[in-house]
Amino acid sequence: MSAPAQASSDRYPGEAGVEVANITKSFGPDEARVTVLNGVSLTIRKGEFVSLIGPSGCGKSTLLKVVAGLSDADGGKVSINGKSAREASREKAIGLVPQSPALLPWRTILDNVSLPISINPGANAGRKLRDPKEILTNFGLGKAIDRYPAQLSGGMQQRAAIARAFVFDPEILLMDEPFSALDEMNRDQQRMGLLDFWQSNQKSVLFVTHSVPEAIILSDRIVLMAAHPGRIAEIIDVDLPRPRNEALYATDAFRDLEGYVRNALRKVMEAAHV
Amino acid sequence: MSSSIAADVAPKAKTASPMARLAGDWLPPAITFVVVAVLWQVVALNNPYVLPTLESIGNSMAGDPHMYWANMLVTCQEIVIGAGAGILFGFLLAVAMSELPIIEKAIMPLIVVIMVTPVVAIAPALVVAFGFGMLPKYIVTGLVVFFPMLVNSLAGLRDVDQKALDVFKTLHASRWETFRDLRLPGCMPFVFAGLRIAMPLAVVGAAVAEFVAAGQQAGLGSLVTISAAQADLPVTWASIALLCLLGVVLVSLLALLRKRVLWWSDADVIGR
Ligand SMILES: Nc1ncnc2c1ncn2[C@@H]1O[C@H](COP(=O)(O)OP(=O)(O)OP(=O)(O)O)[C@@H](O)[C@H]1O
Ligand SMILES: [Mg+2]
Repeated sequence: MSAPAQASSDRYPGEAGVEVANITKSFGPDEARVTVLNGVSLTIRKGEFVSLIGPSGCGKSTLLKVVAGLSDADGGKVSINGKSAREASREKAIGLVPQSPALLPWRTILDNVSLPISINPGANAGRKLRDPKEILTNFGLGKAIDRYPAQLSGGMQQRAAIARAFVFDPEILLMDEPFSALDEMNRDQQRMGLLDFWQSNQKSVLFVTHSVPEAIILSDRIVLMAAHPGRIAEIIDVDLPRPRNEALYATDAFRDLEGYVRNALRKVMEAAHV
Repeated sequence: MSSSIAADVAPKAKTASPMARLAGDWLPPAITFVVVAVLWQVVALNNPYVLPTLESIGNSMAGDPHMYWANMLVTCQEIVIGAGAGILFGFLLAVAMSELPIIEKAIMPLIVVIMVTPVVAIAPALVVAFGFGMLPKYIVTGLVVFFPMLVNSLAGLRDVDQKALDVFKTLHASRWETFRDLRLPGCMPFVFAGLRIAMPLAVVGAAVAEFVAAGQQAGLGSLVTISAAQADLPVTWASIALLCLLGVVLVSLLALLRKRVLWWSDADVIGR
């Protein structure tokens, strides 16, 4: 099982944050078993932002759950700083941002964001915990700390959910389409907020999205997945300068890359329909 | 022009005076009660063997308040102890079942069997077994509230937000942490729905228990059976009225408690 990482990940020498090696996963009863992930290998360097994009049902959420230790793979290995996903969660090394904010409606925003600090406190030792108030201020929620989730807009709730994932300073953040429930204008605002925050706190991120521009503006690399069975079709480097901001959308380099990614995505989709 | 007029009128329509609001809330039901009372009197005056007049009921209560008070206390005691134990036990068993599914597998069928057996049929058997004391009454009252509490609490404990549960799992939250911070507060809307069903049932349970075992221990339910057997209609209806009052008080107390505990579950209440 200790096969060396794929040649492609050698482009990133140095400390590997997350290593996903040859993951297979299938669902269903024996006679009608469907392979959802087939030999997925991927490396996320420390401090690297990696997006996962691909057709609906190709296994993005499944892969995220395997990396999070929420679901066991049939084969292959996940290692987070050299530890298994389960060990990593025991040490609170994983910050999860689910598709819906999943805030606790009976807790204030401040208490919601403080939750990961109070849970499993044994794993807090030697960790650079953040001040929940300060992180909420960073996310533009300084005035909302004493409010309850139901009193906030969808975008504000999602920002609180992201703040909750950053507050305990995990090694890796896993985000499953965190902005998918928002309207386009709100989405763009939230992704810029995330971009700003991440650029000043570079953490390893695995970010599932359906939006090509979102993947490009945020990521260092885009992992394009194909469906049936779910596998990695292509890994695209995003060689755009950092720090980035909205101005990047208007550049030729961005547009060229967007065209390239869309084209690659189209090829993957067409191949699935043949 | 027309828009400025509309703007002038609209706020006035919204901020009705407190007096007017009070009248709007209380007047319709008050009228209903008055109409029912008048109809009651008409029937009672013409058919004295069907219904007692309202003043004869009032006179009966005023004539012997100690007797009614003592009986009401007995019924209250059955509800507080019997239903209290039934509610607590139903909730605790739901917690045990949600934490250890094997417990549910093992005893749920037995509980269903007990619950489909009519309580009215069990009550006399309990009296034979435990005598005419309070114990069989506690058991019957507890039994009727137990099932709705168990079923609702269990549904609530299972109805966790899966995404929030995923967040707890990635933090490696202990079972206790997950229970304390997620399942327990999250199940409260279901628990209160269960209590809303259980409260009126508790009064029914206490009354039924007393019907069956109207021994030396009194209670409003026994008062109903004894007075009805003697065709003493004012006492019968006065006791029924007090049972009804007991139910109303319990349901109102529950509504108050719900507002304090469950403020977060009604989104527009938070906004105030
Ligand atoms: N628990 C499960 N049991 C059976 N099949 C499952 C389960 N979870 C996922 N699948 C199947 O695995 C496939 C991949 O699902 P997954 O949710 O990972 O897709 P996805 O790429 O996240 O899709 P989307 O973009 O729509 O969110 C789907 O065909 C789905 O039906
Ligand atoms: Mg998905």
